[in-house]
Formats: sequence, C-alpha cells, structure tokens
Amino acid sequence: MSKDYVQQAGMNKDVRVDGKRVAGKLRFNPPGSGGSRPEMAERDLEFIPELEGGNEPQPAGAHSHDSFRTGTTVGKRTPLVDANAKVTGQAWYGDDIRLPNEIIGRIVRSPYHYAKVKSIDTTKAEELPGVIAVSTGVDAPSKFGVLPVTKDEHAMAVEKVRHVGDLVACVAATDEETARQAAALIEVEYEVLDAIHDPKKGLLDVDEPIHWRGPYHIGSTNVQKRVFQEFGDRESLEDTTKAFHNGKWKFMGVNHGFTEPHAVVAHWDSNGRLQLYTPQQVPHYAHRALATVLEVPMHQINVIRTFVGGGFGGKSDPFPHEMCAAILARKAGRPVRITFDREEVFWVNRGRHPSHIEVKINANDDAKISGFEIDALIDGGGFASFGHVTSYYNGVLATAPYELGSFHYTGARVWTNKPASGAMRGHGAVNTRCAIEVGLDDIAEKLQVDPIDLRLANLLPPHSKTITGFRITSNGMRQALERVREGSNWDEKFRKLPIGKGIGIGCGFFISGSGLPIHWDPHNFPHATVHLQIDMDGGVTVHTGAADIGQGSSTAVAQVVAEVLALPLEMVHVRSHESDTSPVDLGSYSSRVTFMNANAAIGAALEIREKLLNAAGEMLELPPEKLVLNDRRIYFKKDPTIGVSYLDALHKSQEDIGALIASGAYRTPPMGGVHKGAAAGLAPAYSFSAYVAEVEVDVDTGLIKCTDVWAAHDCGKALNPLAVEGQIIGSCHMGLGQVLSEQMVYGRTGHLQNPNFLEYKIPSVHEMPNVTPIIIESCDPEGPFGAKEAGEGPLLPILPAVVNAVYDAIGVRVNDLPLTPDKVWAAISKKMKREKIDDARDLPVPRLDFSELQKKLIKRSAEHKIRDSRRQRREDEGPYLNGVLFGLDPTLPPEEQDETWKISVKPDSSQLDNLGLAGTAWTKKEQRHMEGGK
Amino acid sequence: MLMPPFELHQPKSVSEACTIAKELMLAGDEFDWIAGGTDLIPNYKWHINSKPHVISLAGIDGLSEISMTEIGCMARLHDIAESEDVHPIVSDAASKVASSLIRRNATLGGNLCLDTRCFWFNQTEEWRSSIDWCHKCDCGTGADCRVIPNQNELCVATYQGDIAPTLMVLDASVHLIGPDGTRVMPLVEFYKLDGMTRNVLQPGEFMLKITLPDDVADWTGSYRKLRVRDSWDFPEAGAAAAWKKGDRTTLRVATTALESIPRRHDTEVSESNGDVKAICDAVFKSTKPVNNTSLPPRYRRNMIKVLIKRACEE
Repeated sequence: MSKDYVQQAGMNKDVRVDGKRVAGKLRFNPPGSGGSRPEMAERDLEFIPELEGGNEPQPAGAHSHDSFRTGTTVGKRTPLVDANAKVTGQAWYGDDIRLPNEIIGRIVRSPYHYAKVKSIDTTKAEELPGVIAVSTGVDAPSKFGVLPVTKDEHAMAVEKVRHVGDLVACVAATDEETARQAAALIEVEYEVLDAIHDPKKGLLDVDEPIHWRGPYHIGSTNVQKRVFQEFGDRESLEDTTKAFHNGKWKFMGVNHGFTEPHAVVAHWDSNGRLQLYTPQQVPHYAHRALATVLEVPMHQINVIRTFVGGGFGGKSDPFPHEMCAAILARKAGRPVRITFDREEVFWVNRGRHPSHIEVKINANDDAKISGFEIDALIDGGGFASFGHVTSYYNGVLATAPYELGSFHYTGARVWTNKPASGAMRGHGAVNTRCAIEVGLDDIAEKLQVDPIDLRLANLLPPHSKTITGFRITSNGMRQALERVREGSNWDEKFRKLPIGKGIGIGCGFFISGSGLPIHWDPHNFPHATVHLQIDMDGGVTVHTGAADIGQGSSTAVAQVVAEVLALPLEMVHVRSHESDTSPVDLGSYSSRVTFMNANAAIGAALEIREKLLNAAGEMLELPPEKLVLNDRRIYFKKDPTIGVSYLDALHKSQEDIGALIASGAYRTPPMGGVHKGAAAGLAPAYSFSAYVAEVEVDVDTGLIKCTDVWAAHDCGKALNPLAVEGQIIGSCHMGLGQVLSEQMVYGRTGHLQNPNFLEYKIPSVHEMPNVTPIIIESCDPEGPFGAKEAGEGPLLPILPAVVNAVYDAIGVRVNDLPLTPDKVWAAISKKMKREKIDDARDLPVPRLDFSELQKKLIKRSAEHKIRDSRRQRREDEGPYLNGVLFGLDPTLPPEEQDETWKISVKPDSSQLDNLGLAGTAWTKKEQRHMEGGK
Repeated sequence: MLMPPFELHQPKSVSEACTIAKELMLAGDEFDWIAGGTDLIPNYKWHINSKPHVISLAGIDGLSEISMTEIGCMARLHDIAESEDVHPIVSDAASKVASSLIRRNATLGGNLCLDTRCFWFNQTEEWRSSIDWCHKCDCGTGADCRVIPNQNELCVATYQGDIAPTLMVLDASVHLIGPDGTRVMPLVEFYKLDGMTRNVLQPGEFMLKITLPDDVADWTGSYRKLRVRDSWDFPEAGAAAAWKKGDRTTLRVATTALESIPRRHDTEVSESNGDVKAICDAVFKSTKPVNNTSLPPRYRRNMIKVLIKRACEE
C-alpha cells in the first residue's frame, strides 16, 4: 500500500465536513443525550408541514401522518444508509461469501434449442479427481415457479431442455478448473425437437408444445396465457371518430443488465439446516421454492440475502441454480458456491418480453379518447416466470392516466425456445405505454392540436376510478405535464425546430405495489411486517424482510422510524438479510417496498412512540398529547425546558419489561372489480410521470443523440429527494437503452448473438442526456407520509418521449425498438425515395397549425385543473368514475346507465373472426373443451 | 471466467524475444505475442485459439517511442491520443478506440495486429459449442463458416481496428522483426485478405514500430468512425482521408471494419479524379461487408459513403 494511501478522507477529524460518519469515531455522549451531537437540535421547521405549524408547503393538502412529522429526516436529501459499505468495498455481494471448506459448482447447459434428454452419463465426471458431487434432474423432480399458478420449472431438465443454456446437470469440485473439466465430461444424449423462435408461430398448433398443461392447455399451441378485456362503449366508435391512429410495433427483448451476475452459496450447517446466501430481490419466494424442491420444511432453511448488485426484476424469480447449489452442497456435505459468467445471466434472462403490439386509438369531435384497442403478443421464452401477470399488465396498465370511452385488450404470451422473459423495471407496462403515447402524438397531429394540451384535457382526476375499476387516489399527472412543458420551453420548440432537431412528450402510469399478494390469497397475512426493538442503549433495531437491491429501501425504512421517534439516523439499524430474523416480506417487486414497508414501519414506530410519550408524561406529570418529540428529547409543547431525555423516557418505559418491541404491518384496503383478471394491476396507489426529451438526429447516418430530458415524476412525497432523483436519472438511462440501442438479438439460427456487454449495448456516459429531474408531490393519502413509488414508473415515459422527439426531428416514425441507426436511416431513405428528395436535409418536417379544437382543449383543461385541485385537496369528495367525461353519472356504475357499455373478459363467438394477432389465441379451445383432446 | 493455463515468457530485449520464439518454434510449441493484452486476454478467457505459451513484449525497453515520424509498437493508445507529437489524424483515431480504461493498456502494435471479429466467433466456448463451432476456431472439427455457409475455406471475420486506415492514408511503413531478421514494408501491404491469417507476419515475427514519411506533418485529413456508442464500441465502419495541405490531387482514402482487412482505395481515388462523390460510389461498389458485426451489412456499406464524404471535408 502506498504511503499516500488514505483510507477515509478526514480521518484525523471526529466529524467529517460532509456529515458522513468516520469509522470508530462516532461520538456518543453519556446516556441522556444519545446520537453524535451533544446538544438537542432545533426543530427543523422547514421539514414540518405548514398545517402542523412548520414551513413545508402542502399544495396537495394534509396527510394523516402529518402530526408524526418531527422534521428529522423525511424530505431531506439523505445518503443511503448502506452507501459507506458500498463505496468502501465492504458490502458483501453473492460472490463475496467465502465459507470454510467451500467447493465450486458449475452447471452443464443445453447446447440445443429444444430437445428431449434421452440419457445422462456422469461416470467420467465422477471419476475425475477433485470432483465431489454430481447431480442431474432426477435428484429434484418437483416443479417450481415464481407464480403458484404456473409452476413449470425444474432445478435441472427432467424430460426436456427448452432453450440453449437450459440446465441439464451440475457438478461441484474443489476448484473452478476441475468443475469446468467435469462439466465437459458429462455425456448427455439428446433427441432434438423442432424449435420455435418466432412468437407468431407460438400461436399455432404443434406436435410437441414446449409445456403441456393437460386439460387447461390451449389447443396444442404454445400459448401460455391469453387475456381478453372489453370495457365501455365501442358500438358508437364508428360514428363518432374524428381521428384514428393505428400503430403496429415491434419491441426487441431487453435484459436488465445489472452489474452483479447471479451468485449463490449453499451450506447445510451443523444442525442440518440449509443456509443459502443469494442476491435475491424476493428471498421469500426463493425460500418457498427451495422448500418444495429440496423437500425440506421452510423452517429448516435460512435464506440470507446478500447485498444485491442490481436487480431490476432480474433477481426476483426463484432460480434453478439456487436449487442446484443446495442439492450439490447436500450431496457433498460442503458449502457450494456457484457464480455466473455474464453469458449465463443472459441464459437465465427474465428480461422484458420481445413483443408485437398493435394499438388503435379513436378520438372524437371533442378530442376525447373514445377508443383504446391494444393487441399484445409477447414472447415468453421457455418458461412462465411472471408471464401470467405480464400478459395482463400489457393491457390494463394502459387504462390511465386518460379517461377513456372504451377499452379493448387482447393479449397472449407464448412459449418459445429462448431464455425465459419475466419481470423487468416497469413490468409489462413499458412497451404498450410507448405505443399508446406515440399514438396520442399522432392523434394530436391529426387533430392539429398540441399533444400536451390533448393530454391535459383528457386526464382522470385524483380520487377516481379507471375504466377497468382501478382506484386512483393521489394524481400528480397534471402538474407533471405542466412542469415539463415549462421546464423544457416546450411552446417555443415543439414543431418549430429545424430538421434534425426534435422534442417530444411521453407520459407514464405505474402501480405502487401490487394489490394482491401472489402467495397467500385467501389468507389475510399482511403484505409487509416490520419489527422494532429498542434495548437500554437506545439504538433502534428494525427487522424487515424488505430486500434492499440498491433502491434504498433500508434507508427509507430507517428514515420513517427515525422521523417518528425523532432520532438521528445513525441510531436506527436495519436488519433485513436473514429469513431467520426478518418477518416475512413479499420482496422488492412491483414497486411496493417503500409504500408497504415504510407504512408497516410507521405502524411499529407509533407503538413505541406512544410508550415513550406515556413514560415521559408520567415523569413530567403532563398528558402525553401535550408533549413533542424532537432530537432525542421529549418535552412540553409550550416550554422546551420542561422535558426528559429520550433515554430517560425509554428506561422508564422499559421498567419491568426490558427491551421495547413493537410490530407493524401493512395490508392493502379491499378494492377492485369482480371480473376475471380484475386483480391484475390493482394497487393501493399509482405513480404518474411526464417527460420531455430533446434529440438530435444525424439525418445522413440515422444516429440519434438524446441531449436533454425534463423528467417529472409524481412520487406522492419524496421521503428522500436524493434517492428519488437517482431513480429518475437511472430510469432515464435504462429506458434510453431500450429505445436507442439495447436488444437481445436472436440470429437466423435462433441463437442469442450478443450475450455480453460489448454487443448488448447499454448506453455509456456519452449517450446520457442532461436529465433535469422534477419531483411532483401529490401527497398520497395512504402512502407513508404521502409517498408512492419512484423505482419503476419513471422509466416509462422516456421511450415515447424519445420516439416522438425523433418524429419531430425528421418527420418519420419508426415503430421498431430499439431505434438503431440502421432502422432510422432506412426509414429516412425510404421517405427520400418516395418524395424524390436527394439530400436528407431537404426532408419536410412536421409543423403545427392549430385547429379550432385547440381552444376547446385549453378551455377544458382549465376547467379540469380546478376540478382536479379540488378533488386532490378533498374539497370535492364526490365519486368519479371513468366515463363522466362522456356524460355518465358518476354515482352509478356505467353499465347500469348505458346499455351499450360492456364489461367482458371473453370474446363472444361473433368477435372471434375479428381479433388482432394475439387475439387469435382465443380461436383455440382448451383441451377440456375439445372433443377427444390431444 | 477462467483462462486456460499458459506459460508466460517475459524477455527483456528484442533479441531475447526472438530467441525465445525460435526455441519454442524448434520445440514445436505454439505461442502468441502479447502487448497490451486487451484483445488477446478476452479471447483467452473465452478459450478462443489459446496457446500454451505467451511471449510478452511489455518488459522490453525502447518500443514505446512516439514522434511525428515514428511510433513504437508498445506505445499505449492513451499516450498516442494525448501526444502533441503524433499526427492529429492518428491521435484522433487512437482517442476513439474502445474506452479510456482500455486505451491505457492497449498498444499500437496490438491495434494494428488486432484479431478479426465475428459474432459467431467472439463467444464463449459453451456458446460456440452450441453452433457446433466455426471455421475460424473449429476445435478440430473442420467446421464450416457460419457467416457464409457451405464454403469452409474462407474466413470472413471483420478487421475492426481504428488506427490502420489513418496510418495507411499517411503512407506509413511497418517494421517487422523475427528470427530471420527485420523487414520493412508499406502498411498497405501488411494486411492479407483472409480472416484467419490477417497479415503477412510469419511465425516468430512481430511488429517493432511504424514509421511515417518525413513530410507527414504537411498532410491533413480526418478519420470518421461509425459506432452506436461513443465508448467501448469497435467501429462498424471507418474511413480515413488525407491529402497534402493545399493539394487535393494527393488525396488518399482508406477504410476499415468492412472486410477482413483495412484497405486503402488508391484505384477508386485515381479513377474518380478527386471527385469525392465518385470516390464514395466507387468504394461503395468495391466493398461488400458481411453480416457478422452488430449493425447490418447493407447499412454499413451505405454508411461508408457518408464517412468518406465527411473524412474528405476540408
């Protein structure tokens, strides 16, 4: 180590100027004060709501948690609590686990797209010196899968392999080299079957479907899930349509591209219990699946979530390699570690589905959106994964933020011989959202109105219901649109920029937590549980199962506890790694963690708060409601000198019972419709976002450079603005990858051509635009201190914003993502040829000449703005159902007032001939309804 | 990812390096030269044509010379990019190679001798086994070419180095040394149209340096690179042009990343009488990229017209 090496800047000082803690130098004064500051801080009125006597503005009204605000940490820019561990290299990721006596596991993978496994001979591998254990599919025949309704995975192939890279066997040896050699010595005899790569072919009957679901199998096709939904009045569409958009889209599959490849360590301890270390987003589902596959009760397994080097949905399934490690470790009697190469990460995949999506939009004379029709064929790859849900999300998450006259969705997810698609940031909503936002841009152009005004005049208000029955609570969509319009100087630029430069708008809508827990319907277990424990030292230990995957969930939970108890953040310690000590949590998916866990944590903290206030009240001989908490002290509201220290109050309340413990839980309120599939997309709250993107297009090469993004996201309340901005900027980067360069390329032989980070093109720092994050706070009534999600929703708008900006720049629409330069160039060339233009710089670019409708829209949106503001602040608490804009009475269900208003989840026979691509899945019968069957 | 084991030789002088090479050849042992290793090591990690012996040139002094008329084979691309002594076309091309981290290690010699690339070839061993190997790394199977099937004679992997075309238009010469002594030749003659052999280097021979004509400082021009990302990416097509200041009749044009070698287009230029559009069309006609990089060949071929046009801009 060089002599100039400094482990931590400012080592010679006790307190660093940047406010971070110095290892071993944390100053704690004697009991009575606590924390690193010897004196009580002043109440920070800037972070206490104005309705509670502070200075924090509340444009969206009051919140039920307002009275628990202490001005300690909520709303302040807070570095993540695990940031020190990460930046100093002390965080322990999957592959950092080193147990004594460990051996290395290696997986044998299929070289064929689709084949029957005839036989496996492991003799030679077993004979190789250094090989400790070998396992094949016969060792673990039980099926598992992340969703209970679609368990279709095995630890290793039992009968068939379903894609190149599918697991066939595994070996464990004393070192990696031997394990690799052994893997190569395993002889597998295959019978190769006809593989399917094109999802369109997945809709057809075949001899050997990739999975077989018995009586529920749809014909003998490869359709895994089909969805039909029809709502609203579609009969009058033909007569009322003024503008019509029809967009046929192709989206390539994308992978999460997280930094840390999968890694797992399995160890059967001295008591015969499995200790499994894995970077999981959803440790609980892995826990369940392990119990099933290993045939061990759950209480004999301890799942230890390591630090997670990025998940984005790609670490949320229970994985076969986790089973393999456990099986090998059990056989070997030694800990087994398996770490993936990047290529293996691509074999596991679970990225966004490659999709064919068709969107039709009708707008009527008043520029109201009278019809939305979506058809989505999604390519699921070899396994179901989250696909059941994805199939719904591709349609139903398009039902807001706009008020619709009708909604029609047909979706189908098919199996193909590719690595499985699954959940990825913005699960199921991203591709359709891109298609409809671009569609609205086209509608606006056809009506010759401003696309932002078109949106502003068609928004659902706060506290309303969507056409399919989702309960919208807080809604900051309008403010988001207004802020990006202003920030980007939209009115000066849109349709006014020279060729090659363009600006575009896109909106987003996403769930903040999924309404129904996948695994324990109909039991009424809570979605999230948090335990607090405070011993005599005053430190608060928070036990939660919430998986911090870098999004900052531990920080959010620590923040809300610190806020309620008015303690410095360093007195709150989050323990969330082990299933042995953490209450069950559903994990980090569907943007649920802050909403649900922080709510549970507030519940637990309030319990402790009450005990502390009672104890202090007793000591001060004052009623508890006249006391306030502030920075390690509890004192009389009117005279801060009359008070006790936090520790004294704590010790008083600990008399006779010792450590204080409290438990908080969160469950969603009952909501949603009763139709089949009504639960898909239900959430206790929804986030809204609007982005404006500015691009430069090189018209000679088709290369697109996104230069600026104004990104407004409604997260209810930013508990930690620093983290919210990080999520917004990170989402921009990730979405920009999908819209410009990232794609999983399956070549002419169906092989994945680019399973590496050189050819799978994640944007570099040079491609990153200047992002201006704009936080909108709509104060969700049920969110913790008003907060909603900020992890996934912000990804959605960047795709359509860029695509629309490209159109503004060159007057050509490309409906095939990513917009690689070759596609853009081909589209430009085609147009040049058609219009007989030699120089691309002479291409006509779209211009806007406002029609009469524009005034109408401005008037309507001004009225709606007043309506929304009143509803947001609950000055108007009347019901609002989708359809009011079209003249319906908000107090009655639409189907009762309009005979033509449909609610249908199955096509009737007259519709069967008239369905989109994915919709044709409905022309097949399930086996149980087929005479003779297969 | 584990590299296959190999023995590393670290000579301290050019003559020692030649001796080691000669001894290995006599013993019938295969070996590779390694300079910066940014091309070789990733290939080794993927078990692509790895050899049991590797001779490193890193310990030999005096191979990193950088001046207007001479650049040593071990000169790091970062140093070339940053140097004010190097011709601006060359330093510009060097600054566009891969990423800043890689440029710190990568060398001129390595870039000029870069192995050709192909998405059927630059894959892990497991991946290549799933396509039953390919002609360039057939693992003893005699596998066919996967880009142009049914012809297992020619490898059409693409040369994707950035610097070669700039040195070609400046008329650089390359100095090679091997067990049989040194030889010097124009860089344009160094490459050999075959994705496997790539260049004229004989067994045991390696590149010592390149030299440029004395009047090179009087030449001007530019290099244009087509890539999706402004970092990391190899060129999908590249064009360099140079001419003596004030004398467009001296125009030279070279391209890269379109076939298995970089190429200087003297015939196309002379037949076009200096008309840039005619040169673009002629090069377009004479180059036929194949589908083995990330962007489609039709696009890359069309883009060469744009790149040459831009490279020729005053």
